[in-house]
Amino acid sequence: MPQTSTRTRSHFQIQRDVIYALLLRELSSRFGKTRGGFIWVLVEPLAHLMFPVFIRGFIRQGLMPGVEFPIFIVYGILPFLLFKAICLQIVDGVNSGQGILSYRQVLLMDVFIAKALAHFVIQAIVFPIVLIGLAMFGYDVLPVRPVELAGVIFLTVMLAFGLGLLFAAITSLMPDARAIIKVMFMPLYFMSGILFPVTRFPDAWVQWMALNPVLHLVELSRVMAIEQYKPIKYLSIEYPVALALTTTVIGLMLYRMRYLARVTR
Amino acid sequence: MIRLDGVTKSYMTLSGRKFVFRDLSLDIPEGVNVGLIGRNGAGKSTLMRLLSAVDLPDSGKIITRGRISWPVGLRGGMQKNLTARDNVKFVCRILGVRRSRMQEKIRYVEEFADIGEWFDQPVSTYSSGMVARVAFGTSMAFDFDYYLIDEVMAVGDATFRRKSRQVFNERLKKSKVILVSHNMDLIRNMCDAVVYLDGGRATVYNDVHKGIAAYKKAGGEP
Repeated sequence: MPQTSTRTRSHFQIQRDVIYALLLRELSSRFGKTRGGFIWVLVEPLAHLMFPVFIRGFIRQGLMPGVEFPIFIVYGILPFLLFKAICLQIVDGVNSGQGILSYRQVLLMDVFIAKALAHFVIQAIVFPIVLIGLAMFGYDVLPVRPVELAGVIFLTVMLAFGLGLLFAAITSLMPDARAIIKVMFMPLYFMSGILFPVTRFPDAWVQWMALNPVLHLVELSRVMAIEQYKPIKYLSIEYPVALALTTTVIGLMLYRMRYLARVTR
Repeated sequence: MIRLDGVTKSYMTLSGRKFVFRDLSLDIPEGVNVGLIGRNGAGKSTLMRLLSAVDLPDSGKIITRGRISWPVGLRGGMQKNLTARDNVKFVCRILGVRRSRMQEKIRYVEEFADIGEWFDQPVSTYSSGMVARVAFGTSMAFDFDYYLIDEVMAVGDATFRRKSRQVFNERLKKSKVILVSHNMDLIRNMCDAVVYLDGGRATVYNDVHKGIAAYKKAGGEP
């Protein structure tokens, strides 16, 4: 009979072990879901890239001086997909974590953190591959301000995490809200200027569109990556930062008050 | 030691909030096997969920000392698209069991479950009996001071049942069990004390027969 030692771990060590275990579980179940699971992880960003490039191939219209279309798309969908994945995963995490919470070491927050980390890791693997692919076609893919770009990615993760917690609290209280949150993500693709620069719209519209924090993330990402990119004039770094901080704080407070855990059971 | 201190627990239902326990204080008898009995809806499963920390009380405290298992034979904790081997690895990791000791545990579960090559196939492809074998084997691979068991352990074919019973009895020499069951014979056989739940109150009987008698008098099934 195998013996388990009785050494006790601190709370911090337990949480570290649990998050590591959940992260591995998340990654291996994603990559190993089907045969060639890794290929499917690559398909999503590639589809997002290929579709508009294919369409544009027929239009051949100038976008912005000095800005190549595939590069424009890639640095736009990078924060967008990361934001969407983490946000929705956390909302779903409230339920998908149910079985796993039966292990007393596993807290709901560990599930959230592991999911956010897993998607960060996936994008960190997938996007360099996509960039290398574009480089082979002769595009200049290297970001001009890599450190700042990393900062924007970090901000994206934080905002997705904070908003995800808020949405998770809302769906805990009103399970039907889940469908509405999912539907909200569909127009978000167009509202965030993934396909074309929103500067093409009338100024009065852009002013309103600037309320969407994801638009700021997308624009910031392109500014950090592309030398000659001209962002919207309402671009602000303070707005997404402030929103990320407030949503994270409110989300953590709701979590602390157990609004996220109570009702799903 | 397992102590409930002023525990209130409620659930939201369609017709409003329903309280299972209001300000419940209870010392689970120490050093003995304990049976939880009571009618359907008396809160047995809720108490188990609180003890296994799956669920948190609205207010009050649950003070525990010693290692408490997850509900024995838990199946919901398994990730369906991973293999049994990966699922055991996961449990090892959250318990802080690494390297050679992890390999030991995996070997133990593999031998115990005895499902051959299926051990390296995704759990989603298993029959329910195979899932039960892996789940029970995983529970038995680790040492706990208390094992939580909800409902009967009778899973799998006769040989497997005999083996489970044997391994479990071995475990009970060192560990204690907290068992929820409607099977009074099982309670009589395994338990030394009984906690009888009724109308949100808990009564401890250090004599199993008295506890069962109280339950029967209140109209519980024989």
